[in-house]
Amino acid sequence: MRNTLLLLLLLAAAVATISGCKQSSKAPSGGNVTSTPAAKQVTIAFLPKSKGNAYFVSCAKGAQKAADELGDKLIVDGPTDPDPARQNEIVENWITLGVDVIAASCENKEGISTALRKAEARGIKVVTYDADALPDARSFFVNQATPQGIGCALMDEAARLCESNGEFAVITGSLTAENQTEWRKFVEERRAAAYPNMKCVAVEACDDLKDKAQSETTALLSTYPDLKLILSTTSLGVPGAAEAIKQAGKTGAVKNIGLGLPDENKRYVHDGVTQSVILWKTADLGYLTIYAADALARGTLKAGDKTFKAGSLGEFEIQGDNIMLGKPFTFNQDNIDQFDF
Amino acid sequence: MNTDKHGFKKNLLRHETVLFAVLVVEWIFFDAIGHNFGTYDNTCDILRHSCEIGLLALAMTPVILTGGIDLSVGSLLGLCAILFGKFWRDAGMPIPVAAACTIGVGALAGGLNASLIAWLRLPPLIVTLGTFSLFRGLAEAITHGVDTFTDFPASFLFLGQERWFGIPAQALVFIAAVIFFWLLVHRTTFGRSFRAIGFSPEGAHYAGIPVGRRVAMVYVLAGIVSAIAAIIYTARLGQAKADAGTGYELFAITAVVLGGTSIFGGVGSVHGTLLGVAAIAVLHSGIAHALLPGEMAGMLTGVLLILALAGSALPKMISGLRARKSAPRLAKQIP
Repeated sequence: MRNTLLLLLLLAAAVATISGCKQSSKAPSGGNVTSTPAAKQVTIAFLPKSKGNAYFVSCAKGAQKAADELGDKLIVDGPTDPDPARQNEIVENWITLGVDVIAASCENKEGISTALRKAEARGIKVVTYDADALPDARSFFVNQATPQGIGCALMDEAARLCESNGEFAVITGSLTAENQTEWRKFVEERRAAAYPNMKCVAVEACDDLKDKAQSETTALLSTYPDLKLILSTTSLGVPGAAEAIKQAGKTGAVKNIGLGLPDENKRYVHDGVTQSVILWKTADLGYLTIYAADALARGTLKAGDKTFKAGSLGEFEIQGDNIMLGKPFTFNQDNIDQFDF
Repeated sequence: MNTDKHGFKKNLLRHETVLFAVLVVEWIFFDAIGHNFGTYDNTCDILRHSCEIGLLALAMTPVILTGGIDLSVGSLLGLCAILFGKFWRDAGMPIPVAAACTIGVGALAGGLNASLIAWLRLPPLIVTLGTFSLFRGLAEAITHGVDTFTDFPASFLFLGQERWFGIPAQALVFIAAVIFFWLLVHRTTFGRSFRAIGFSPEGAHYAGIPVGRRVAMVYVLAGIVSAIAAIIYTARLGQAKADAGTGYELFAITAVVLGGTSIFGGVGSVHGTLLGVAAIAVLHSGIAHALLPGEMAGMLTGVLLILALAGSALPKMISGLRARKSAPRLAKQIP
């Protein structure tokens, strides 16, 4: 036992010596001998909310494409377990690793902001994408969609399919969730302003359950025989409503649209049950994020800029410190097979 | 002289020594392939990141020594974290009072485990599986799963994020806990009684050890330590949420078992646990600094566990074989 204790002490001493001798150096492979700072390779660390999630996998694909174009080094790592501290640990590891920029999608806004602020204090630039941190913990947020953009896109698509008149119903995740309420508000605002002949007859909550969305839709279909369209503001609502419409034999007669991921709706879109699924191009989100991160590190993107040019995607508008990805994208029968998330 | 030599050889083959060697190899390996791995900054980060799991593993060691298990520590960490937030934000208590109350809650929660296990004689696995769900469920119910506590004062966040004379502040708490548990397990009659209970509760009872009280003690201690870990966790993240510490119980148990403590009780050491925690923490940090995919950490922890256990079982097996070989000769000599 004494000997083991002695060994422990030795270890501590060894660690202290090794650590003491070494000074942190900057950027793992950014040390390419180049004289102009602009030509220096930038090391960008890209943090998804969770690593295996198909949504973030496709974000990372776009990110990699951008990094290849820019000649930057991209590190992608994210939590594989539900521990909320994991994102912080990953960021802190990147700080000691000495990356140049961190691009993060934040699971816990307040929690991760502590780590991101620490990164900024060490001279590492921070951008967020998909889910923002606290504003003081990052320079820019790459905003994939505003509530207004989402609300308008949904309502415009509904009106297009219904030729701007008739009854429709809304399936929402829950009646209290903040983002859902916001989106519904803009759907209604857009309807009142642009499509007065359309009427929203009901708003039902599906508690973010596919089964509940299905049973609610079945009830809606029998209660309102003139219903022309179901609009879901939650991703699980779209396939749930589709299943109900299909089983009621109303495929095509009652249109079905909503926010969602292409993959879980492909089948229904091909069967003609679901007409459109609305979201943003996740690969573009990753692509734009990396371009912004790179520009921030090189000093070409600064606070106060009004526009930003990202490679092959062209110009993007900047509102305050939000870089706007722009209008949501509509997935339909013609294009849905090109997407894989 | 002869006995000294024997003692040295025995120590060389001890599980802790094998694990220590593994740890040194790990360190040298990651220092070679990783970037900025062996720096002082990163050493501090490793300490900071492993503090909560380290505390839980320390408290888990006596629990497992008595032949028990506590699956509820991670959930209790979550419950204590949000209660700490509640005490501070909603009840308006100053941080030290809120911390003291949180530790009180930890002791009570540990007491619940203790009374069910020690006095109702229910199996620890079942009891703590129940409280594992109960504590997490309470945490989620109190916050409705969405409420989070944040904006703690900087003086409190110091505990989780800053250094005090060059040492991460929470490491000092951890070192104090290491000393406490080492003395408890290795230098007091309590420690000996934990092992005795782990070997045979009936035997310990007939030897005059108050088995119920001693078993209760280790679970209450685990509760208290979970609460302390919760406070450090909150300070490190600057946020308390109901899902804090999810899965930490398994990390802690892994570290204890890796450290050579028998899951059946009776055998084990605090310094072994410490080495177990260090081996896992170094692995996690090393993988990140070598830019290897993070999911390798889980896989390599498994490999490490198997290697370390096999490594220390091998010499025993060899000496067992030798003993069997020499046995017939001995038998011949006797008549």
